[in-house]
Amino acid sequence: MRGMTPWWLLSAPLVLLGIFFVAPLLTLFLIGFQHNSLFNVGGWTLSNYGTIFHTGSYRQIAVTTTEIATLTMLVQLLVGFPLAYVLAFRARGWELPVILLLVLADELNPIVRIYAYRVVLGREGIINRGLEAVGLVSSHHPLSWLLFDKFAVVVVLSTSYITYTVIPIYAAMKAIDPSLIEAATDLGAGWFRRTMRILVPLSAPGIFVAIILVYLPLFTEFATPTLVGGTGSYMLGQLNAELITESGDLGQGAALSALLLVATGVMAAAAYYLARLNRLDA
Amino acid sequence: MSRTEPAVVTDRARAARASPRRATMPFRVRVRRSIPGILSVALVVFVMLVLFGPIIMLAVLSFDKSTIIALYWQGFTTQWYHDAWSNSDLRSAVQNSLVVAVIVTAFSMVLGTMTAFAITRFRFRGRGAVAGLAGAPLVVPWLMIGIGAAIFFFHYQVLPGMFPLSLWSVTAVQIICTFPLVTAVVASRLARFEGVQEEAAVDLGASRLQVLRRVILPQLTPALGAAAIFAFSWSFNNFEIDFFVGGYDQTFPVWVYSELKRAPNLPIINASSTLISAVQVLMVIVAWRLLLRDDTADERRGASTVIDALP
Repeated sequence: MRGMTPWWLLSAPLVLLGIFFVAPLLTLFLIGFQHNSLFNVGGWTLSNYGTIFHTGSYRQIAVTTTEIATLTMLVQLLVGFPLAYVLAFRARGWELPVILLLVLADELNPIVRIYAYRVVLGREGIINRGLEAVGLVSSHHPLSWLLFDKFAVVVVLSTSYITYTVIPIYAAMKAIDPSLIEAATDLGAGWFRRTMRILVPLSAPGIFVAIILVYLPLFTEFATPTLVGGTGSYMLGQLNAELITESGDLGQGAALSALLLVATGVMAAAAYYLARLNRLDA
Repeated sequence: MSRTEPAVVTDRARAARASPRRATMPFRVRVRRSIPGILSVALVVFVMLVLFGPIIMLAVLSFDKSTIIALYWQGFTTQWYHDAWSNSDLRSAVQNSLVVAVIVTAFSMVLGTMTAFAITRFRFRGRGAVAGLAGAPLVVPWLMIGIGAAIFFFHYQVLPGMFPLSLWSVTAVQIICTFPLVTAVVASRLARFEGVQEEAAVDLGASRLQVLRRVILPQLTPALGAAAIFAFSWSFNNFEIDFFVGGYDQTFPVWVYSELKRAPNLPIINASSTLISAVQVLMVIVAWRLLLRDDTADERRGASTVIDALP
């Protein structure tokens, strides 16, 4: 298409990205260095960042967040890696239907999904009712750790991101020649050795993509811990939201957002750089 | 699907089935051979149960007469659907979500396709940077975009009068969250048939408009259809942006969220959630068929099309 410049096509998208994406993110960085709470507006300061780094409870929240995110990532890899293997090598006829279901799980409304787990996991939820019916649990002392604690948060987050864990690993495994695995079997390698020596190294780029797509966003989760979590599972995303919507401390909220943004950005960049060093195509 | 299975494997499988050794195989060996298959099925069933069991329970409960969550199945009723329909808050929330999603989808299709064309059909300075910027909203968490936009709109009151936090700001911010998805889907499809066919058409005397209408669009249509459905779904489901940028305007996810914070387990949440989920299931199936349409001949490519389409 001669005579047409790409900038003509790109003008509208770039202007909108500038106003509604770049400018708001820059605002986060700007406001983070200003006093901007209900009582005190204006003037440059570093105190927002100082507060974040020096408040003990914030540090505790960061630790809890890291715990939950890491645990969730591990659960997803433990379930997602075998599932990707099954889909890539064993599923045959139901390979595509299962992928369709994984896509579907991702497209259902997240708040509705979170609510559904509340119905199942609650003190009077389906699981407790079922256990009572069988007589394993008395109705006066239902299992209370199922909901409003770390368990529920990890379960619900794992289900929210499983699509993004399985699909990249599956795509990487799909590129592995099945005859490699057959050859290893013929030469007497057991399932553990086949996994560690063939599957894991060759699907490493997929695992890597999955970790970036899933692990980093987990640090900014807000709706899930609010709706199914409790005091023991209070996460950074919740803190950030509450600074904005409840405390009205825009300065500190912006500073925390900016920090999370930079931290996840640095982690993503570092991961990408390491992957390039290893010549993984990610 | 079995029809695309390599012939060698089927032959071997048939040979194994026919071999006399198999019949005399000791029971223990037969059990051991079937373990991987059983484990595979068990794993898939387990994951699907955890993913969809709760939603299915919700659908079942939405037809249950009991208002108290502790008493299950007191008889069949469609009462909650009537209640949901006549709840004005819920109706306006769903309406808001639908209007926003339609506008966001329309804008995302146009912007996303334009960006995809520019990135795949032109070589120019700054192309990498543009592609990176257009892809960035897919990577930056929506919570950060939401908080940033909330502060931005609230603090600066951009475009005075028109943009306090409202459905308008939700629509604007959702557009930039969603059109990169369309860009990704369309760009991956455009990259497939490179420029050869377009050049051929131009050499044969086609005008620019003819190339677009006769060569490019027909090949893009299925991908565009699927992209539109995913864009709509992303907009409809985008809780973070709705919550932070919506001000006093409620959308469906925000309505469910605030109902849950006030009085949990309302039967009308069950009913409305079930209806919405049913529509979403249908939409995803349609999108899936569109994506696979040209690729049914080659299963591996079929799966990869879908993977390209995933954010």
